[in-house]
This record gives sequence, structure tokens and C-alpha cells, in this order.
Amino acid sequence: MKKNSRITPEGTKDFLFEECLTRRSIEKTLGDVFAARGFHEVVTPGFEFYDVFDPDFSGIPQEVMYKMTDRRGRLIVMRPDSTLPIARLTATRLQNLPKPVRLYYTQPIYRNNPGLAGRSDESVQTGIELLGAAGLRADLDALSTAVEALGKCVPGYRLELGHAGFFRALARQIPVPDDLREEIRSAIESKNYARLNKILDGLPQTGQVRAMRELPRLFGGEEVFDRAESLCGGDGAGGPLGYLRRIYRALSDMEPGGRLSIDLGLVQRNDYYTGIVFSAYVEECGDAVLLGGRYDNLLSHFGQPMPAIGFAVDVDAIAKTLLDRGNVCPVPPMDVLVHGEPDYEIKAAEYASYLVGKGLRCETSVFETRDEAVAYAQKSGIKRVDLVGEAVKTVNLI
Amino acid sequence: MKPLRIALTKGRLEDSTVDLLETVGCDCSAVRAKGRRLILPVGGNLEVVLAKAADVITYVEHGVCDLGVVGKDTILEKGGSYYEVLDLGFGKCRFALAGRRGTDLFSGYSAKTIATKYPRVARNYFESRAMDVRIIRIEGSVELAPLLGLADAIVDIVETGRTLRENGLTILETICGVSARLIVNAASMKLRKEEIETLTGKLERAVAAVPAGGKEEKTC
Repeated sequence: MKKNSRITPEGTKDFLFEECLTRRSIEKTLGDVFAARGFHEVVTPGFEFYDVFDPDFSGIPQEVMYKMTDRRGRLIVMRPDSTLPIARLTATRLQNLPKPVRLYYTQPIYRNNPGLAGRSDESVQTGIELLGAAGLRADLDALSTAVEALGKCVPGYRLELGHAGFFRALARQIPVPDDLREEIRSAIESKNYARLNKILDGLPQTGQVRAMRELPRLFGGEEVFDRAESLCGGDGAGGPLGYLRRIYRALSDMEPGGRLSIDLGLVQRNDYYTGIVFSAYVEECGDAVLLGGRYDNLLSHFGQPMPAIGFAVDVDAIAKTLLDRGNVCPVPPMDVLVHGEPDYEIKAAEYASYLVGKGLRCETSVFETRDEAVAYAQKSGIKRVDLVGEAVKTVNLI
Repeated sequence: MKPLRIALTKGRLEDSTVDLLETVGCDCSAVRAKGRRLILPVGGNLEVVLAKAADVITYVEHGVCDLGVVGKDTILEKGGSYYEVLDLGFGKCRFALAGRRGTDLFSGYSAKTIATKYPRVARNYFESRAMDVRIIRIEGSVELAPLLGLADAIVDIVETGRTLRENGLTILETICGVSARLIVNAASMKLRKEEIETLTGKLERAVAAVPAGGKEEKTC
């Protein structure tokens, strides 16, 4: 026996029984929500050319991609994300479809995470992309889909909204080189107040610098808007802010119960996202279970500039949360075990098909004797054994 | 309501962290007389977990602890994604490149060998200077490596510089300053904002009340 023939690689696992049922039921619930809102399912290849995921525009570091080469030596990666292949697909094969294009997917993504940290390298995501539409209606469409999807499968979530344009508008008015701007962004992303203050202390103290200093603290409920407004007093950042407020109000009407919040310091992948950004959290999970936003620049990298918005839900994380909460989809025992007496094996198989046709869940016995079949039924929790001979005799077990 | 859980780094940072928690009104008698227990209540709906530095980051990153106190040295070496909200101002030292007196690491064309307990910090430093170096991981007293001729220089944390001096080594360049930081899990920050902000606000005021010791360092 080879050394690795009985184990799976780090970051992967087998999904068994109730894990599968839970995962499938989440996929089905979410898929039904997406389909009912006009999104059409697509499946993209499990591996694609590296160029589709170019870190320059994808924001995905090349270190996390699993790579190999094709027959001609070209670099291939295991799909680390589903939005980029969908952008490729929309810009090429779907370019003549009327806009907007509404697509959804349910498929695994692969990330080469640092070892020994307990992260999955393979995880199933399901999500939507609404391509070829900009503006309030499109944003509300995506967000209300997210709200409905989460509401149907994970009680007790919190949805958080931000706007990539807020940071960008402030940064535009602070004259610093690109690398320093990136340092500022990264300090805000990690809410590293000490580092942020240190950088900003070295700059002329304008209104924008003062607002930038407060950015990582600008999260919470609706009061955040008032604080942000007084900080940036009607300059360029007011546009994104006013817009976000309209979205927030609209969503609060849709989703009462204080599960919405604002974080103006959501600045991750700031060159990728161009408008509203959002993420959802649940108590049991240290990472976001949903991530999304508007990415109007991406499609131009595939030669068909168009606005787009989308989000992805981490199905595995939600399944784990539900399983931890004890919301297990139980795997019920079979209704009937059908045992064919000697010379009645074929009749037993036909009889089992007949029961299945009547809607019963039915397993056939592979044992030689009646006693073995009954013992197996008892062990497996099957309450009824049908013995098929000249006639059918039903044995009810307790 | 589930208590907020804060992971503290055992050892070098432990006493200062406990002092700080007491300043903000936590009852740390259970922590001071901990025996072998690892999870300790300190009142005020707060629970203390004692762990090794790198594990503090692991627990916070996975969200099983909401907050953590850990040195910037460990943060730089281990990376990860979480919020780093407060410089607690104690546990000050620095990352330095050190070697025998007179070592010139930046001239000549031969690739240099660097011994370190912090391979990631060393690699990032030399990458930022566009230098290819060979990095060897050493677990114990890194100062031995240049003395024994295994490495041209070391990257290590330096507090007073005494060990270096006594072994004929000197700081060739300071890489960055290090101090204890308060880190917060991203989901906890969002889901338990008020409790966490109350605590960090108290800690921030307590830290600000302590006069800053030592000279100004480049903050990482």
C-alpha cells in the first residue's frame, strides 16, 4: 500500500451523509432564490488559463492559486474564484445577449492556503452576477437577492454595507505616491489605527486627512452617515455617502430588525471594487459568509467594458454553522427492506421497484437468509421487512 | 450573553497585559493565581485565555477568541487577517539585522546567508531591498550562527542589544519597531461592536495615560 493512498491532501475532506444533505439543501435553497429572480445557472471549467485570474486586475495573489501547465506549456490554474470566469464568459460567448445578463453558479473554488491553519483549500460557493447594469435599481436587485438568500438559509446573520468610492474620493484629494496610498488602504483594512495615524501625521492636516484618520472607526448603524458627513463636509466623498444612505434606507425597509450595518472602512480589493461593497457575518464563523460588490472595471479587461455587480456565498461555512447549531438534516433510515427468498430474487427486485414507484424508500436485501436480512434491518433501523416468496409477507420490527 | 474572550500571550507580555487589564477594572486575581487553568474569568463579562504568541493569532483569526494581545513580531511573522486596533505601548523592542562588526552586507555580488527565527520577516526585508539571500531557520540562540560561520548575518528581535554586544555582534540596520498589539477578529468586531469598542476605548485611554517610554521607532 502506498503511503498516501489512504488519506486526502491537507485542506480537503470527504463530505458524508448529513453534511452532504445540509450542503445540498443550502445549495438548493439559494439556487431556487436566484432562479426565481431571473438568474440562470452556468458552470465554468474547474481549471482555466492563469491570464483570466491575472493578479493585476483580479486582486487575487498568485501565491494562493493552484497552478499547472497544459499540453503546450501554458499556465493553468484551478479556479480560485467564479466571478472572473463569468466575466470572461459574458465578454465573449454572451456578448450579443441583451443586457442585463443574470447568471448564477454553484461550484467549488480552490485556494492554496498556508498550511496547518485549519483552512479549506476547496470550498463550494454559490453566487450571482448581474452584468451590464449600473445604478440604484441594479444595486438594490443584487442586495435584495442577498437579503432574501441569507434569510432563507441562515438565521441571525448581519449584513454590512460599504462603498469603495468613499475611500477613493478621499484618497484622490490627498496627494501621496501610490505605494503610500496602498499603505494607507491596508492600515484601514486591518483597522490598524496606530499605523494609520503614523502615516497621516506626516501629511498636511487637511479635512480629507482628518476624515481618512476616522475611516476605520466609521462602522456601525445609521449614525455613521452623520459622522461621515460632518467629517467630509460636502466634498467629493459626499456622492458615495449619499448614495449608500439611500441604499441603506431602502434595505432597512426590506429587512427590519437591526441586522444591517455600515462600514466605510471596507476597503478590501479597492482597485477591483468600484461602488457598493457588502459582506455578511454569523456569530459562529470568524470569516464573512457572503462577500460581494460592484466591479465596473473588470469587464474591460476582457474587452467588453460594462458595469457589473455580484456576490458569492460560502456554502461550506453556512453548512458548518447550521450543523454546529444542531440544525442537521437527519439521514432517515429506509422505509422497507425487501428480501427475496431463494428462486424469488427477480420477483423481489421487481417488487422493490413497485414499492419505490409508490413513493416508498426501499432497499433490497443482499443476504442469503431471512435471519441475516432481519438482523441487518434491525441494525440499520429499518422498521419493515417484506419477504418475497410465492406471496409477500411483511414483518414489522419494533 | 456569551462572555467576550481575550487571548493573552504567555510569558514576556503577560505581566504588563494583566496590569493593563487591572487598570481598566478587570479582576485578574484568577489570572495571577492561575495554577494550570488556561481559561479564566476576570469579571465584566470577559474571559481570559492564555496561549503562546502564535496561537493567540490562530485563535483570533478563527474567531474562537474575539480579541488577543500579541507582539508585533509575531504578527509580522505569522501574517493572517484580523484587525490590529491598538498599539499597547509595552513589550517594546525592534527587529534588527545584526552581524559581526564591520560586516558589509550590501556590497559585493556573492549571495549572503541569513540565520533567523523569523524567516518571513527576513524574506520580506530582503525582498524589499531586491536582494536574493539564503535564509536558514534557527530555533535557539541565533547569535551563534555568524559566530560559527554558518551565516553572514542574523535577523532577530533586539531589546537592549546586550547579547549582541557580549558576542561581538552589532546592529547593522534596524528593520522596524515592535510592541504589543491588541488584535480583534473581523466577525466579532462587527457582531459585538459595542462591547468591543467599550473595552478598546478603556484600554486606549489607559495606554494613553502611561507616558511613552523609549525612543520613537518606525511603527510597522
